[in-house]
Amino acid sequence: MIIMMKKYNEKKVDDEISQIISSTKMKAPENLKYRIMHQIEYESSLTPKHSQKYKKETKENGNVLKDLGSIYGVMYAVIALMTIIAYAIEGVEFYLSTEYWATVSFVGFVFSLFWLVSRLDGHLKSKSKYTGEKDLQN
Amino acid sequence: MNENQCVQQVLSGNTSAFKHFVESYQDMAITIAFRICGNMQDAEDVVQDSFVKAYKNLRSFRAESKFSTWLYRIVYNTAVTFTKSQMWANTQVAPLENAIQVGTNSLEKQFEETEREEIVADIMAKMPKGDALLLTLYYMEDNSIKEIAKITGLNESNVKVKLFRARKLFGDLAISNYGLQITGS
Repeated sequence: MIIMMKKYNEKKVDDEISQIISSTKMKAPENLKYRIMHQIEYESSLTPKHSQKYKKETKENGNVLKDLGSIYGVMYAVIALMTIIAYAIEGVEFYLSTEYWATVSFVGFVFSLFWLVSRLDGHLKSKSKYTGEKDLQN
Repeated sequence: MNENQCVQQVLSGNTSAFKHFVESYQDMAITIAFRICGNMQDAEDVVQDSFVKAYKNLRSFRAESKFSTWLYRIVYNTAVTFTKSQMWANTQVAPLENAIQVGTNSLEKQFEETEREEIVADIMAKMPKGDALLLTLYYMEDNSIKEIAKITGLNESNVKVKLFRARKLFGDLAISNYGLQITGS
């Protein structure tokens, strides 16, 4: 009982201190907010923006998927066309032959190589652009 | 819009979204900085510097703790570095000059609000910086012991002990300087 009373009293004292200390909370001057925002905007205009980098990365990722979709889309279309023509001329047995699978593999290889070259080209272009931007900043 | 969404907005390039944080926390930030620096001019510089640091390092903010805790930690560190002060050294309390022994009164009942604010500000100014800061963090914003420990870099048991002493000192100074007793009534 005594302990409970003591705790209750402590809580009341705490509440009173809280109330009186809260009344002394300082108010930041009105111009401080503008000073801070101005400095932040100034500094963010000077430094390379993370956001731009982020957007660029997202855009690049989009390009990768787009390239992948278009190049391999054409590849599958070519293979499908080949398969249909082969079926029309040679019949279903041709699908089990080495010639058919070698041709399909060759087409796959050529398109993969094409995709790889286009990625490499994109990478080199973006690298030279970044170096140019860096030189400008310096 | 909650704080995490706001953080994401700032990170995605919307600088003006940071205004929300400035508006929400500048008052408490200036109070913390003032407790450490001791004057308004330095406190303003510290707060400005702290918000810019927070903006620059926003990527390192993990939503594990509250944004306010993270920000106040930056304000605390910036102010301590700025003033080159030792926050937790054993400092002596300022001598109690002009102590008015007028018996015991309740701080709330006896004084007008503005007068009460002046008295509390005076008592806080007489306390060691660290103690005044702990009382501010604990009572003004209802920060938990854990959050205060994160802000100040002390461990939790240390915060508890120091907070107990600070509270006692606050009460003692209120009595000896103004004859005021904090009774909770």
